[in-house]
Amino acid sequence: MIELVLFFALGVIFLILLYALTRRTDVRAEGGAEALLEARQALDSLQNGLLPATLVERIFAQEDLDFVSSSCSREVRVLFLRERKRMALSWVAQVRVRVLRLWQFYSGHSRRYARLDLRTEFSLALHFASLLIACRILQALFYLRGPYAAPGIVARAIGAAGNVCVMSERSLSFLSHVNAFRPESAGNSAET
Amino acid sequence: MNSVPKRMDVQKAAEDVHRRTLATIPRALDRFIYLASTRDYNTGMYFHDGLAARFSAEVACEALADCHQEAYRQLLLCPVRELVSQMEAYIQSSHTRPRDFIAAWRELEPYRVAIPVRTDPFSAEFLFSNFRIALAILEERLVNSRRSLRVA
Repeated sequence: MIELVLFFALGVIFLILLYALTRRTDVRAEGGAEALLEARQALDSLQNGLLPATLVERIFAQEDLDFVSSSCSREVRVLFLRERKRMALSWVAQVRVRVLRLWQFYSGHSRRYARLDLRTEFSLALHFASLLIACRILQALFYLRGPYAAPGIVARAIGAAGNVCVMSERSLSFLSHVNAFRPESAGNSAET
Repeated sequence: MNSVPKRMDVQKAAEDVHRRTLATIPRALDRFIYLASTRDYNTGMYFHDGLAARFSAEVACEALADCHQEAYRQLLLCPVRELVSQMEAYIQSSHTRPRDFIAAWRELEPYRVAIPVRTDPFSAEFLFSNFRIALAILEERLVNSRRSLRVA
């Protein structure tokens, strides 16, 4: 009976793997190119917009909270905390979206363009998973306890995201010439 | 081959802007507003006659864009305390009544059109958020100073 269950489980795993493999090959070339550019844009946005240490340190700077707490009324302090909470939630949501976009590229399209060895793929998957979990934890903490609740997890998430960026940069390095020809409108502009 | 000398020209032009103009504007907020004002809102191109005469219109435009981006980054990374004091000094130098200035900046949010092009939307939103906080602090200080004057 136990053997039967084991064989059945193995069969199910085998079928799932087969299904995953058939899905991977069913990628149209034009969709792949789009995914490639999206991955490049997500990476650029993470590296240049969301993850620079100077910016993240400023968002979560205790110095600002101390200044507002010591020299302003309760109303201004409430406004400050509301604004920082909004920015912290927006930051973690945007990091998560871009990491997910990179993950989707790797899981669906990367083999078409980049040669990743098994070790790199495994390590990348591990980094992606830990980063996505950290983002979810941060979202919950920021929502429930505010932006100054988890400086340690913020630092760890930045570290994990930095690792993902370095590995992604390495495997997308062949894209640098594509980036050079990319129309300017494709970038993340905030022309208001 | 052309991009290297051109980039060097842009750097030279940017140094020229720093030496001749920006050196006389000590605060990042003032530099940010000044550089945004050299940009045509319809085309997004920066203009500076003197600089264009010394270099070229294209090089002048790129140099001003670089300086604008630099002033923006400095402002973005300012602590709230620093931003508040920069805004306070800016209000004084603008010779506007503080109450009118705060009301206009709150309602019109003119800083939104002053950010450089191709700025990451998140960092821009963070700067706007800091402006809102700084305005609230300045307004509170203004109300407190009026109240203390009335008491005196």
